[in-house]
Amino acid sequence: MRKMRWSAWVLAVFLFCGFLLPLFLKGDPREPVAAPFSKPVWADRTQAPAMSFTVPPGEAGKTFSWSWEAPRGLSVTGEVLFAKTPSKAALVWETPAGAKWVLSDLSGQNRWTLDLDARDMAFRISLGLSPFDESLRGLFDKHGTIRVRIESDVPVERSSLLVQIPGERWGLFGTDQRGRDVFLLFLYGIRVSLFVGILAVLVSSLIGLAAGLVAGYVGGAADTFLMRTVDVLLSVPLLPVLMVLAALWGKGLWQLVLILGLFSWMGTARTVRSMALSFREAPYVEGLRALGAPTFYILARHGIPTVLPLLLANIALGVPGVILSEAALAYLGLSDPRVISWGRMLHEAQSFGAFTTGAWWLLLPPGLGIALLCLAFMDLGRALEEWADPRLKGGRA
Amino acid sequence: MRPVKRYWTRRLGGTACVVAIVLVANFFLFRLMPGDPVATVLDPRFSPEAKAQLEALYGLDQPLGVQFLLYLRRMATFDFGLSFSTQRPVLDEIMERLPNTLALLVPAYLLSVLLGTVLGVIAARRRGHLAEKAVLAAGAVSFSFPSFFVQMVLLLLFAYVFPVFPLRGSLSIPPPEGTWTILADRIWHLALPIFSLVLLGFGGWALTVRNLVVKVMGEDFMILARAKGIGERRLLWGHALRAALPPLLTLFLLSLPGVVSGAVLTETVFSLHGVGRFLLDSVLGQDYPAAGGAFYLLTLITVGSNLLADFLVQLADPRIKTGGEESR
Repeated sequence: MRKMRWSAWVLAVFLFCGFLLPLFLKGDPREPVAAPFSKPVWADRTQAPAMSFTVPPGEAGKTFSWSWEAPRGLSVTGEVLFAKTPSKAALVWETPAGAKWVLSDLSGQNRWTLDLDARDMAFRISLGLSPFDESLRGLFDKHGTIRVRIESDVPVERSSLLVQIPGERWGLFGTDQRGRDVFLLFLYGIRVSLFVGILAVLVSSLIGLAAGLVAGYVGGAADTFLMRTVDVLLSVPLLPVLMVLAALWGKGLWQLVLILGLFSWMGTARTVRSMALSFREAPYVEGLRALGAPTFYILARHGIPTVLPLLLANIALGVPGVILSEAALAYLGLSDPRVISWGRMLHEAQSFGAFTTGAWWLLLPPGLGIALLCLAFMDLGRALEEWADPRLKGGRA
Repeated sequence: MRPVKRYWTRRLGGTACVVAIVLVANFFLFRLMPGDPVATVLDPRFSPEAKAQLEALYGLDQPLGVQFLLYLRRMATFDFGLSFSTQRPVLDEIMERLPNTLALLVPAYLLSVLLGTVLGVIAARRRGHLAEKAVLAAGAVSFSFPSFFVQMVLLLLFAYVFPVFPLRGSLSIPPPEGTWTILADRIWHLALPIFSLVLLGFGGWALTVRNLVVKVMGEDFMILARAKGIGERRLLWGHALRAALPPLLTLFLLSLPGVVSGAVLTETVFSLHGVGRFLLDSVLGQDYPAAGGAFYLLTLITVGSNLLADFLVQLADPRIKTGGEESR
């Protein structure tokens, strides 16, 4: 494999996004950041975006362009620290039409803590706005560039003033019904899918390997018993079983890994069994037996290495099924509500009215994420299969 | 006739085995749970006499072995007791919902098998044809996309963006008057769920049909048939498909449990009044008699359809009758 498969790139990106990116992004995914059901910023440019920025110290202040209706709210919170007590200082708002509003007078004190909210009557009256008209038309009088700055006769040492304007659009993927950032939730969801997917498949592969080797190599009653068990497990509807077990046994991630692992080893067992059957008849294995090698030695030293390449392919090919089952359980509401996962996101999208509000941005990120992850693992599995058995290369119909 | 008999003994034995395991698992799962089953129904302020009375009602004062025998008798007569949440017999609750589930699954599955077979044969016949591309794409979607996600997107598209179909439910509220309008209303509610199941189901089926038919096309008897001058159409639909039938039926049989699993998800997405969602609601609401009954019945239906499909396999594959290679 000189050229890296696309699936390897996809998995690398997912690993990076799931485990490294959250370290660089500030913020707890559980905390609301903007109004509920805000659209992604790139979605609908006719509606105002939610804004949130700090006013830096210095004359220039912060500028932003505004080309929408006046928003329904505005808040300023935080602290300003002056180098020394200013005789004249103010937080100033300059509109595109050239009007100048003093949001707050900051003179006569070198440390100010602000908590201004446009819903506050006193603040509205001090600004000269009508206390009954909800809109902030005065502050947003024209489409254009708005500047917010701290005007003072002494330098500003530190400013942590946070200006927040609620809007209809927020972030890369918008927000959910509680105002949480869907992009952050999406990133954290990667972890659960990968964790459960890979661990459960490891569990099921171990069971499948053991069962398949015993059934194929030892044969006899063990073979009959194991293969009947496989038949039974394959003829029972999987999801209801998983639902009942998850509900009775607990919804934690480790329990989920065990439950999913216990009910998805059948395919691996069949594959390993068929390989073990031909392995048993191989001349060198017969030779080993003739030399008196114990069964355990033959299986551990020669059996496992023989089936290992195909087992690896099987592991990769098994991950999508487990990821889909985990997502289905979480979607049905059978997962720990404290754990963020893609299935849980879809569950919440459905139960909190994504359909009645048309919130498509709650559906697409987790759903497409699951699909992409599954496709990547399937491609990886196929690559491993070709590596294990080069005859498959190109010969696939 | 001996091989047939042996075959059926084995199949029936396997079925009985599945049912027995499900029965035992059901008993122990729902009975030996952490916590006292009666405590979950009862207010702790109940008097000891009332509690004893309730324990007697549910048969919990008997030793475990007797409880198991009583349980077997109740399962054999489909007496699942009263639902904790509605206090109605669980069987009534399920029977009320079963027609809805069957009305969803049977047409959806038949349609996807039909569509999948037709498209699969066409795709096998003409490589690179539009049908083959459609089959490959649909197959990839059905194997990697979560079914409920595809259904949610369809629901958003066809019930919210273009409000052609209803957002939820099996019947309008209030229900319309007259038998025919009720029937039409039901079909209107089921159309999108069935369409989504067909969309998700035909791809995998078509892929298998295509691969099997491609394989059969290369066999000697097909070359002979062609040499005899049999028309291309009859060759394909009559001979190739006929030869591919037994493995197809086996696949059909193996996919039945997945169909039942799909019912739970589909009924949840579309809020249909069916057995799958009943199972989910009972599991979530810790309504153990209801959950146990629904689970048992769903398994029985799966196993029963398995047997039926098995019968069809046997009809389609004469090798079983003559005792040749066993199909499995």
